Amino acid sequence: MNWFVPDHLFYGSIMIYLAAAIAAVIFYRRHQLCTLFAQAGCVLAAILGAVFSLGILFSESEALLLEPFRSAIPFLSVVIAIDALSAFFMLVLSVLVCCVSVYSIGYVSHYHGKRNVGAFHVLYIAFILSMIFVFTAGNAVFFFMAWELMAVISYFLVVFESEQEGNERAGLIYIVMTHIGAAFLMIAFMIMFSYTGSFDIFGNSDTIPAAAKNLMFVFFLIGFGVKAGVVPVHIWLPYAHPAAPSNVSALMSGIMIKTAIYGLVRFVLCYLDIQHSWWGVAILCIGIISAVLGVAYALMEHNIKRLLAFHSVENIGIILIGLGISFVAFSGGRELLGGVALAASLFHTFNHTLFKGGLFLGAGSIQYAAHTKDIEKLGGLIKRMPVTSVLVLCFSLAISAIVPFNGFVSEWLTYQSLFSIIVPGQTGLNILSVLSIAALAMSGALAAACFVKLFGISFLGKARSEAALHAPEVPAPMNAGMGVLAALCLAIGLFPMLFLQVIDKVVSDVSGTSVTGELQGGFLIASYPVTAYGNSITPVVILVASAVIILAAAAVIRLVGGKAAERKYGTWDCGFEELTPRMQYSATGFTKPLRIVLRILYRPGRSLEVEEGDSAYFPVSRKYNVWTEPVFEKYVYDPLLNAVKKFSLRIKLSVQTGSTHAYLVYIFIAVLALMLYNRLA
Amino acid sequence: MISVAYFIVQTVVILLAAPLVNGIIKKIKALSQKRKGAPVTQLYFDLFKLFKKGMVVSDTASWIFRAAPYVVFATSLAAALLVPVTTMIPSQWHAGDLILMVYLLALGRFFMMLAGLDTASAFGGMGSSREAMISSLIEPSILVSLITVGLIAKSTDLYRIMEHMKGVDAPLIHPVYLTAFLALLIIIIAETARIPVDDPSTHLELTMVHEAMLLEYSGRSLALMELGASIKQLVFITLAVNIFIPNDQFILITGAAAVFLSLVIYLIKVILIAAVIAVAEICTVKLRLFSVPNLAALSFILSFVGFMQYFVLGR
Repeated sequence: MNWFVPDHLFYGSIMIYLAAAIAAVIFYRRHQLCTLFAQAGCVLAAILGAVFSLGILFSESEALLLEPFRSAIPFLSVVIAIDALSAFFMLVLSVLVCCVSVYSIGYVSHYHGKRNVGAFHVLYIAFILSMIFVFTAGNAVFFFMAWELMAVISYFLVVFESEQEGNERAGLIYIVMTHIGAAFLMIAFMIMFSYTGSFDIFGNSDTIPAAAKNLMFVFFLIGFGVKAGVVPVHIWLPYAHPAAPSNVSALMSGIMIKTAIYGLVRFVLCYLDIQHSWWGVAILCIGIISAVLGVAYALMEHNIKRLLAFHSVENIGIILIGLGISFVAFSGGRELLGGVALAASLFHTFNHTLFKGGLFLGAGSIQYAAHTKDIEKLGGLIKRMPVTSVLVLCFSLAISAIVPFNGFVSEWLTYQSLFSIIVPGQTGLNILSVLSIAALAMSGALAAACFVKLFGISFLGKARSEAALHAPEVPAPMNAGMGVLAALCLAIGLFPMLFLQVIDKVVSDVSGTSVTGELQGGFLIASYPVTAYGNSITPVVILVASAVIILAAAAVIRLVGGKAAERKYGTWDCGFEELTPRMQYSATGFTKPLRIVLRILYRPGRSLEVEEGDSAYFPVSRKYNVWTEPVFEKYVYDPLLNAVKKFSLRIKLSVQTGSTHAYLVYIFIAVLALMLYNRLA
Repeated sequence: MISVAYFIVQTVVILLAAPLVNGIIKKIKALSQKRKGAPVTQLYFDLFKLFKKGMVVSDTASWIFRAAPYVVFATSLAAALLVPVTTMIPSQWHAGDLILMVYLLALGRFFMMLAGLDTASAFGGMGSSREAMISSLIEPSILVSLITVGLIAKSTDLYRIMEHMKGVDAPLIHPVYLTAFLALLIIIIAETARIPVDDPSTHLELTMVHEAMLLEYSGRSLALMELGASIKQLVFITLAVNIFIPNDQFILITGAAAVFLSLVIYLIKVILIAAVIAVAEICTVKLRLFSVPNLAALSFILSFVGFMQYFVLGR
């Protein structure tokens, strides 16, 4: 392995990112060149980053430690430490960045001549770099700086199209929520420092008392939970994702929210070491709720990107179900089960990156071609965008956990971990686990319903608007970027053990247990099972069997029935006049049965406005409105916000009166209190 | 060699028996109405005729509409290969377990729902929309009931579950198996578009679910869709009879004769369940669509109670 010099590759990757940013600045007037240099640089840097992370994962060495910048001020040094976990998340990031950047070469062209493309590329690259530093930071201060940088840059990207209505509000909600989370993280890091005297992430946490560890866990959970977008702190996702440009949403949903998963594994599992089983149970509960509510709310959304944002909530829920089981298992000393559950969770993290990244890119393609994000205005795109439609169909199947794709394999592993955590006798955990099984099953079926809606309404049938009727196929780079992601979805779905080998490196590094004994699989293409706890699946064989059945069926039919006589004719219209696009099912209509069944979640309402003409029987116009209530915003956030506002007003009137004398008294009291504290402590 | 025999038996039995089940149900219904009814083999004739007929395809339809019948048929048959009709031939095929089976059928359903939307017909959309609702509500109950049995057998592999059940004497007198079995019966009715969830013989837009999605199909596509649906029905019936009413432990002979005997008993059991479904169709009326969730909830509660009984209260 002479060619593999890890630190050179890492620095090389960073340097190319920086060079790409500089190129974007230099060519900021020549938009095409600017896009080409910046995004091609990103692709190159991402490939280098992926090679680097694979190298780290498969080299037997310890964590790579780099200290490129040591400052005179203590704790402000830039310390980079890359172990298997960091390398895994860098790999996920690099794969996604590579595809998204190829896509961006085509996608950003609709900004050319209209916006400051150079600024966009610089922000885009800075965003990627900030995420790399989040994954590789070796001490908590540097981690927190990278974390905040990531939040701020992504805020600028969210409000990049700031002239569009609602985007500023979206940015505001995002930045406020993310800072609430950051505040909790900061307190947790302060507790960490006050007991250990060090900000070292890889340090020892033995000196922290149990009560403080519990408190730190809660703070980490809230802090990272906000970034992950778990229910009930998910409200920023459905605002921020639709506002951001699609390639940025792909990065945000594909990898930025996963920084929270990284954080939970890094700080709770690796640093704090699981202390109590209730930690895992808490994560499991949050996972169940997020998985079901996320997909349920997604179903009611007809803005593609809002819909996808809610699906991120669902998938984070599924990831957390796996993580929760692994924490419970580790706390109970069941190392092997914990390892498998952790592998399931990390595997779903990667899979979600692939298909959700792809879906956001697909949403971008639709918007690029048809200029709308509203499903109700689309239709019939499969005829005009054949390549895009096949790719979006692949991602839709993958996210619905349907068989030959990757989403299924990681859900199967989650099922298997749930399956083996249930043993007769334990009450609470068994109930929770079986509820998780039900939640996974229901979220899978609801996701399928939701993606039948997304794909069926926007790509099939007849065009519901002029824009959809004349939507052109998108430029080749856009489809190429999505194509790589779709191919990866299928390949990993068919040959999951290949990737599980990579994940096993992480699991054995984090937990000290290798799960290859439990997760087995052959290397032959012909037979490629994944085995967990003696149960095995072989997706590739199923695919081959289905293909054989299809060919056999076609041959038999040909033999029996001869050549197919086919006649083209209009869709059955009950003998009336020709069908119009308005007579098709709409997305609102499609989801109506579920809206009625799950009305307790949605609190739907409707109104009919009729403008009457000469006769009551012939109204001039009718307007039918249907809506669902944003339950969390209305019943949790609005009252909370009002209470805070009221409290602030009271404080302003009673404490902050504007009188200099009063302020002097405050300062005097504060100084006195500090001196007393110093004296006592 | 053994696994080749397994595939042949599986494919032949399922393909031949699946249309028969429909015929038997129809015959029983007809007899109950004092009609003579069509012969039990009617669906074979129908399929044969449909294979030879030409097709009318909507000019709005895309490749999804043409591909869907093949996908539905292939996924149903591939799922059927995972559910042994007899345990006398050991299945050495670790291609999939019950979870994969459920998600494989989901692939077929996904394409069927898309095909409903593909022709821009309001009927198709309506069928897809209702199917989406029913399947989302029934899915948790399928997995919880099957996994409960799997947990007792310590495997999610269907062959091994069936092997385990052979060792349990009279499973249906144990509460856990009884509740799971009843849950599965409700699932069969919901999954195979039977009264009281759906009405297979209707073409009235108020009541159609499954038929509405197939409305635009004709000729060989329709035949494949119908065959696929009847295979799926037999898959669920096979799950019910081979898990909860095991019989192979009573067969003491070995060899081909044993396999034959086992298959005969299997067919009798299938006919029994078909009769139960027919009686259910005769005795009930189609539920209002928004009463279906109650049935799904009943099924889920049954499977959940079974789980609780065994794993929380202890046997």
